[in-house]
Amino acid sequence: MTEAPLLEIDALRANVAGNEILTGLNLTIRPGEVHAIMGPNGSGKSTLANTLMGNPRYEVTGGEVRFLGQALDGMAPDERARRGLFLAFQYPVAVPGVTVVNFLRQAVNAVRGEDVPVREFRQELFQKMELLKVDRDFARRYLNDGFSGGEKKRAEMLQLAMLQPRMAVLDETDSGLDIDALRTVADGVNALMHENMGLLLITHYQRLLNYIKPQFVHVLIDGRIVRSGGPELAEELEESGYDTIEAAASPA
Amino acid sequence: MTSAPSTAVSLLTTEASRALGEALGDGEAVGRLRASGASALDTLAMPSPALDRPWKYVDPAALDLEGFSPPGTASEAWDEALPAGALLLRDGATAGRGPSIDGLTLTDFGEVPEGALERLGEAVAVDGDRLTALHYAFLRGGVLIQTKANAEIAEPVRLTREYSEAGTLATPHTLIVAGVNSRLTVIEEYRSGDEPLAVLPAVELLVGPGAVVNYTSLHRWGARTRVFGEQRAITERDADVRSLSLVTGGRLVKSHITSSLEGRGSSSEMYGIAVGAGQEHVDFYTLQDHVAEDTRSDLLFKSALGEQSRAVYYGLTKVGLGARRADANQENRNLLLSRAAKADSDPVLEILTNDVTRVSHGATAGPVDEEELFYIQSRGLTREGAVGLLVRGFLGEPLDRSALAEGVREELSGLVEAKLTALGAGS
Repeated sequence: MTEAPLLEIDALRANVAGNEILTGLNLTIRPGEVHAIMGPNGSGKSTLANTLMGNPRYEVTGGEVRFLGQALDGMAPDERARRGLFLAFQYPVAVPGVTVVNFLRQAVNAVRGEDVPVREFRQELFQKMELLKVDRDFARRYLNDGFSGGEKKRAEMLQLAMLQPRMAVLDETDSGLDIDALRTVADGVNALMHENMGLLLITHYQRLLNYIKPQFVHVLIDGRIVRSGGPELAEELEESGYDTIEAAASPA
Repeated sequence: MTSAPSTAVSLLTTEASRALGEALGDGEAVGRLRASGASALDTLAMPSPALDRPWKYVDPAALDLEGFSPPGTASEAWDEALPAGALLLRDGATAGRGPSIDGLTLTDFGEVPEGALERLGEAVAVDGDRLTALHYAFLRGGVLIQTKANAEIAEPVRLTREYSEAGTLATPHTLIVAGVNSRLTVIEEYRSGDEPLAVLPAVELLVGPGAVVNYTSLHRWGARTRVFGEQRAITERDADVRSLSLVTGGRLVKSHITSSLEGRGSSSEMYGIAVGAGQEHVDFYTLQDHVAEDTRSDLLFKSALGEQSRAVYYGLTKVGLGARRADANQENRNLLLSRAAKADSDPVLEILTNDVTRVSHGATAGPVDEEELFYIQSRGLTREGAVGLLVRGFLGEPLDRSALAEGVREELSGLVEAKLTALGAGS
């Protein structure tokens, strides 16, 4: 645990549409670590994901986020991506007219800062598609356009696989997946994870954590982390629900 | 149309029309239509923004069309050899032609045998309004493209029309007659220089039973060219017509595009792409006219508008009493790339039978979506790069759906790309 942190979130406060959603959130993630943040609806899970990636609709009003030692405040989303941060979206937007393969090629070139030769790129793409069990003709479809819930999540994982980030944030990646799809996606993520990478799973339900095992579990209530623990905390939540923890955490 | 014709000094008189016909040595069909066009000039007024809905945003009377000179009559020097299925006209005169293709007639009206033009004027009537009357009265540069029954023309026919005579009225006419079960792709390309020019193009597509015609027009007009075009397809039983209009240049390009689905089981797909810059104004009026049973139509028109450019779309889907089980879809999308750009969109349905399979329509106009930009930027593309990707994808969709051969689509993409690059819309 002596390695320099990948991600340090320090007393982070953030607003969306004038409402304060994150109210002082602290979290540190080091290389090789898998963290899970669990929380009920409205606790600030998606706000955290969007704020980390730099969505301009979210306004940081206090605290700081550092990624690889660099403060992220004011940094455009694309620069964050090029530095190795990745967000798998809960609701990826459709981009009609832009094929998966074209999009991935541009993204890969942007993040790696060089034009990857077409042959090499295709080879890598097909290999990653096999890993995630997606059909080859998937690549020729318009990105997320008419995709089922499961296809969208797989497309997100394919982007993760191709961009090879240092730190990946998965926002509700389990939602909309049946059990087979969930297992495929989880197997893919596990295969992509390595000792220099960090992983943050943001989820409402414990289900995903049966397949991607976190070492650290945090409970998010009202925009800050109220409890942290090991994998057993996720099981406790599954049994007793958020209400018990919420009651214990709220100032009397 | 109740108001009297313009009383301003006009160069486009009945006498000028007759003189043009004599100088060109009209055949029977062209002579007849020219004469009726000329006589209609005495009675027909210009369409008016107040009375004619497709003209709501453009007043042709204000453009002083009649101050333009009639088309010239000079012939052109023969150009270097062109590939098979290609025909080139300069200022309305044939200037080059490729080797002939079996089953295909491709020639200007001056060279067609007597009787071959008997269907001229069937789809675009002489007396539609003063503009169509002017078109026929001053017709120059008519081209007949005709396929024999069952002919499958593998390569696209390339018809190129260039204009450079300043201050003249140009009146290109393309008559496409597709024989029973034939297959034909036509790409008509219009170009002009920087001089003021008024153009009244007419395109007639007569699609025979079971025939499939794919017609594309490339509007690459100069910065001071104003265009008022009429294009109409009439489909017979089980025929299939597809059209694509790509507009990348012209001060004002107004196109009326109609598919009249008169044959049972026939279908129409209409696509449109416009990229606007500067003061350019693109105005599309479309009509999906379901006349017969079991007819199908689909339409997707998209504009990306930069600087102070403007797009107008007014589209009508008509399902007549006899058009049972009609299936129609109509979509117009506009992307505003600058604050000063403007789009008006008005898709309209008019349904007279209650037995339809589907009739749907949609319209949008707005800037690039911020959530889409965030998503793409989160994958490492700069904001400029993300805008560029979104715009290209947006405009690429009608092209992808057009069923044109890949090589042609790439060529058309290149035209869009050049215009977008000039506009500075990402890369």
